[in-house]
Amino acid sequence: MAFDAIFEPITIGSQTIRNRVVSTAHAEVHATDGGMTTERYVRYYEEKAKGGCGLCICGGSSVVSIDSPQAWWSSVNLSTDRIIPHFQNLAEAVHRHGGKIMIQITHMGRRSRWDGHDWPTLVSPSGIREPVHRSTCKTIEEEEIWRIVGDFAQAARRAKEGGLDGVELSAVHQHLIDQFWSPRVNKREDAWGGTFEGRMRFGLEVLKAVRAEVGDDFVVGMRICGDEFHPDGLTHDDMKAIAAYYDATGKVDFFGVVGSGCDTHNSLANVIPNMSYPPEPFLHLAAGIKEVVSVPVIHAQNIKDPTQANRILEGGYVDLVGMTRAHIADPHLIAKIKMGQVDQIRQCVGANYCIDRQYQGLDVLCIQNAATSREYMGLPHVISQSEGPRRRAVVVGGGPGGMEAARVLAERGHEVTLFEAEDGLGGQITLAARAPSRDQIAGITRWYQLELARLKVDLRLGTRADVPTIDDLRPDLVVLATGGRPFLDQYADWGFDPDPEKSLVVSTWDILSGKVTPGKNVLVFDSICEFSGVSAADFLADKGARVEIVTDDIKPGAAVGGTTFPTYYRSLYEKEVIMTSDLMLHEVYREGTSLVAVLENEYSGVQEERVVDQIVVENGVRPDERLYLEMKEASLNRGQVDLEALYAARPQPCLAELDAGDRSAGDRGAGFVLFRLGDGVAPRNVHAAIYDALRLCKDV
Amino acid sequence: MPATVLPDLLAALVLAVLAMTLVGGARRFTLWRRGRPSPVPWLAGLAAMPRRYLVDLHHVVARDKAFAHTHVATAGGFVAAALLMLVVVLVPMPAGLRLGLTGLMLAASAVMLAGARLVARRRRSPPARLSRGPWMRLPKSLTVFSASLAGVALVSLLSSLLPPGWLGGILGWALAGVLLVGLALGLAEMLLGMTWGGPMKHAFAGALHLAWHRRAERFSTRTSEREGRTPRSTGLKALDLDDPEVPLGVACPEDFTWNQRLGFDACVQCGRCEAVCPAFAAGQPLNPKKLIQDMVRGMTGASADSYHGSPYPGRPLTQDKGQDKGQQKGQPGGPIVVEAGGALLDADTLWSCTTCRACVEECPMMIEHVDAIVDLRRHLTLERGKTPGKGAAVLDNLIATDNPGGFAPGSRMHWAADLELPLMRDYGQVDVLLWLGDGAFDMRNQRTLRALVKILRAAAVDFAVLGNEERDSGDVARRLGDEATFQRLARANVATLSHYRFQTIVTCDPHSFHVLGNEYGAFGGDYRVRHHSSFIQELIAGGRLALESRQRGRVTYHDPCYLGRYNGEYEAPRQVLAALGIELDEMQRSGFRSRCCGGGGGAPITDVPGERRIPDMRMADVAETGAELVAVGCPQCTAMLEGVVDATAQVRDIAELVAEALIEPPAGKRQARKTQAQDRTVAEGVAKGGVARGADPAVDRGVGHDVEELSQ
Repeated sequence: MAFDAIFEPITIGSQTIRNRVVSTAHAEVHATDGGMTTERYVRYYEEKAKGGCGLCICGGSSVVSIDSPQAWWSSVNLSTDRIIPHFQNLAEAVHRHGGKIMIQITHMGRRSRWDGHDWPTLVSPSGIREPVHRSTCKTIEEEEIWRIVGDFAQAARRAKEGGLDGVELSAVHQHLIDQFWSPRVNKREDAWGGTFEGRMRFGLEVLKAVRAEVGDDFVVGMRICGDEFHPDGLTHDDMKAIAAYYDATGKVDFFGVVGSGCDTHNSLANVIPNMSYPPEPFLHLAAGIKEVVSVPVIHAQNIKDPTQANRILEGGYVDLVGMTRAHIADPHLIAKIKMGQVDQIRQCVGANYCIDRQYQGLDVLCIQNAATSREYMGLPHVISQSEGPRRRAVVVGGGPGGMEAARVLAERGHEVTLFEAEDGLGGQITLAARAPSRDQIAGITRWYQLELARLKVDLRLGTRADVPTIDDLRPDLVVLATGGRPFLDQYADWGFDPDPEKSLVVSTWDILSGKVTPGKNVLVFDSICEFSGVSAADFLADKGARVEIVTDDIKPGAAVGGTTFPTYYRSLYEKEVIMTSDLMLHEVYREGTSLVAVLENEYSGVQEERVVDQIVVENGVRPDERLYLEMKEASLNRGQVDLEALYAARPQPCLAELDAGDRSAGDRGAGFVLFRLGDGVAPRNVHAAIYDALRLCKDV
Repeated sequence: MPATVLPDLLAALVLAVLAMTLVGGARRFTLWRRGRPSPVPWLAGLAAMPRRYLVDLHHVVARDKAFAHTHVATAGGFVAAALLMLVVVLVPMPAGLRLGLTGLMLAASAVMLAGARLVARRRRSPPARLSRGPWMRLPKSLTVFSASLAGVALVSLLSSLLPPGWLGGILGWALAGVLLVGLALGLAEMLLGMTWGGPMKHAFAGALHLAWHRRAERFSTRTSEREGRTPRSTGLKALDLDDPEVPLGVACPEDFTWNQRLGFDACVQCGRCEAVCPAFAAGQPLNPKKLIQDMVRGMTGASADSYHGSPYPGRPLTQDKGQDKGQQKGQPGGPIVVEAGGALLDADTLWSCTTCRACVEECPMMIEHVDAIVDLRRHLTLERGKTPGKGAAVLDNLIATDNPGGFAPGSRMHWAADLELPLMRDYGQVDVLLWLGDGAFDMRNQRTLRALVKILRAAAVDFAVLGNEERDSGDVARRLGDEATFQRLARANVATLSHYRFQTIVTCDPHSFHVLGNEYGAFGGDYRVRHHSSFIQELIAGGRLALESRQRGRVTYHDPCYLGRYNGEYEAPRQVLAALGIELDEMQRSGFRSRCCGGGGGAPITDVPGERRIPDMRMADVAETGAELVAVGCPQCTAMLEGVVDATAQVRDIAELVAEALIEPPAGKRQARKTQAQDRTVAEGVAKGGVARGADPAVDRGVGHDVEELSQ
């Protein structure tokens, strides 16, 4: 049997885990309601357990004390007994499906924000400021240390009384425990710093207090770093010594190991490696820790694929693999392996939409799976077959929204025809995948391609749909996901012309697609500051162009998330791309064989010029509304969507008209319902298009 | 004048034929007896023979109504006419009685003549399964014999009514001559042919085969009839590994027991076996009829030319008759399977068999093809180490790990890590021992097992599993001919089971079901074993399962060979499906005629190539019904049928369908779970089997259901 290693149960402390796959702790950012786990939270984890995940460690950075504020990231609050009944619901939901659930508990020390909620004074061993959150803090006093040690023990008790299977003490990501460990943060000379034992003492006291409170039959683990990757931080050898030290106490049931520290923007990107990283880049660090400890070791970080996971486990590098983002993309990952449906697993592509939202304090969502974390709303991971009549559906546009609509409609059992003007599916994803180190984003398309083939959707590639073609199919439902085109004609002075010979500016699309040959000396003007601008700049530089990327926003790539802009910056700086902010593209004119870009400073109004041979403009997408406007009048719902139904994920009322039509119109057809979504309505993102497609189509 | 001479000539002819027939019979008997000994109850067997013929054999023949009538007329007419003829011709008696008997003889031969005409019609364009050659002359022989005898009877009758001399002169002599010659020819076919090797041999050998059959227990008796049981004998006979006299399987025709040889001789070459053999249909080199005929050739040393039926697919008979003629010639003491030099057949023929018993089930002569094939495989595996394909690896796995897949023995329970199944080791005594089978290592079958566990818990069945103490039942080893490994596994399992007390063994694997129920007896293991479909049916009948009843599109049911033909269980699975509200669209080949999935007997392991794949043909059978779902009750069938590319139907085990239809008790009951689960005394009162996860069926609602959802 393939995947034997994955399906070998393992015992951690008192708990037997049914397989070797863990959803490791991450901030869900939806334990709202004062840090109490909600129905949404429970359903999110229940889905993973239902899908076969062995162990879920929930609640990344769940707090044990009131001066470690929970509200910024809506994390779980274990500082009060009120949490206990909420845990009972959670534990019951996961246990019902044979899963196990533990929670990460922590005091974040200085790694938070002080400027809100209770306006806490943050604490840290030596009161040194933390750069990522720009947070200042006080030097912790001994009384506070003992209070927090006690808080840890009480929090663990609450987890145990709530029926959870264990707790994981976070000593990673520069939380309070590892703030004490690290000499770059802990400058104390008292019994809580200085020597190795001194730096270890706080963690040890926490461990002792927790163990004393919960006893031996409750799992207590520690999540630690494998190497902080700071010149003055804890090295891998330091971490081995630390792990061995705590392991020797016999009080730790498992270690979770994360490669890299994360108290700078750049190191943060290592912690949740995006698609530019190789597979399991930090496995060696976890394996190093496993060498020196006697209990199971868990390691996550870019393990997305069952074969990869099995290989790691077979190799014995670690005992359990974290497949956390893999589960966000597809909570039924394990079940699909068991069903022999590995090809149907929606694989994480490392777009890091989930984690980048989290760092903005937004709920964790998946770029490609709109059902994730919306289980409570009734958005399904498994689309059930419709019990109503089999409909004819036409989807126009093979971008993410169109592909999702076609998939969902086909899963519902309808007869689906999908038109795509290009020769392949993917829409803008195909363009995005052309940039250096961004190829994995095409995994989104790859999955849809496999699914649409499996579901026998009639794909009409290289075919631009028009009204007569659509009418010929006599559809009951038309979904327009026609996308748009680069919005280069917003300002006449940019000199855009549909005729490429005459146009003074080109789009990032044409650059990435290869339609336009990269220039030698290129200015990229990016007013959007998402992936497309920096991708185009990186692409051009990769092809050997001298590139300056200019934006009128606060910095190039400003809207690229916190775990992804660092990898762009690494690449752009390495290729000596000049990054300039605060300048608006005012005008472009031709001078001889060169182009001149007139840039105007947003704040001073001063203009400056660049003489280049190519000007690439990223100014977002202008929706392609032609087909919609042609079809709108004829449709039953005049193209309108009922927003209340949409937001509540209820069936669109206009679908009832189809049923009414069935009765009155016989086989002539009763007209059609028209929906549109994605950038064809207004330029948003992949998730928005997929989410709309799912919620509009799931009840058809 | 001829009328008066006729009786004397007749008597002389009959006596001569009778004597030669007896000589032939004695020769034939000694030929059979050259096989290994096999004690039989000589007289009791002969006494039981008529019943076996009239009840058991006729039961098989009667499946083809038209031919049954033909055979009753022909054979019944012949037996009556021939006996009357012997009496009338040889026994002195008063004229009146003779006249009466002659009248009856006339009637009997007329019936036979009618039968003979029906046989002739059948032979006009015979189906491919029927052998040609001498068999083509049989209708003529039957006609000649019956017509001649009728003529003789008629002449006798007329002679007593008409004045003497009515039949005189040249014409009279000619008529008498014709009748005598006809009768002589007829008798030669009908009596001499019986013992000297004509088509009628089947009657002689067939009758004795019924009397001295190696599986007397397969025949009905008055007792079995009274108890309403269908007798059945399908377990393979154990090989005595300790007796140095007993060969390890069959290498040459003399290694078969004498009554197996007798059985081969009974073959009537009707080809019903050929018509139902899945390997034959798949174009694999197996034809059960030819196999049996090759065994006969092996006994007699006859040449390959003597066979006039279908060949082994892919091995045309011209090959026999061409350059390989010498090779294919049987020799009484020579090897059966080609190695180097001459022999009767290729090993591939033997390894194509799925042991599905379709041939045995159809054989009107009660021949045991599967026994013969396994005997031959035993020699190849045990003496020559020539198990082909992955066979040797599978046997090595079984030797090393006690499971055919070679999985770490300690990983047998990995699939159930989250189910906290009660172990026999902890309980000692339960109502039901759940036998997992080697499907425990297979991800597909794990879903079935989980569904079954869910059902047992929903019905509050007191059950436990052996866990890692369980070993493979030995089914595959045995069917691949590795009797030694089978016996080792059997003894080990029997020893393990002897430590525990339970009422019933339940398993979702018909192969385990068969082996535990029918083949462990020889090793001291006598158990009450239930296939899960039967057990679930009992639970439903007992009102212990609340099920949602609804049709799920078009559904058909595939009878697993080891459940159906081997164990006669055709009804329980259908009743379970009916209880789910499913109305079946039955396949044409269902019930005892179900077509094998191709997965039995180690066939997927030896993997002999053919023109088609058996499971593909089976899924085509499914497609013919228009079913979107095929319900099965066997891990092997599930694997084979699910392996079919572009299948039109989903494959679901009955347990999965039942688990899916379980109606949960109201949510409120869930709350009680924790205390119940932790309170052993409470739980034990309800259902010890369900202790770990509570007796509340809701507990495992998601387990098994998880993956079911995904299979939509």
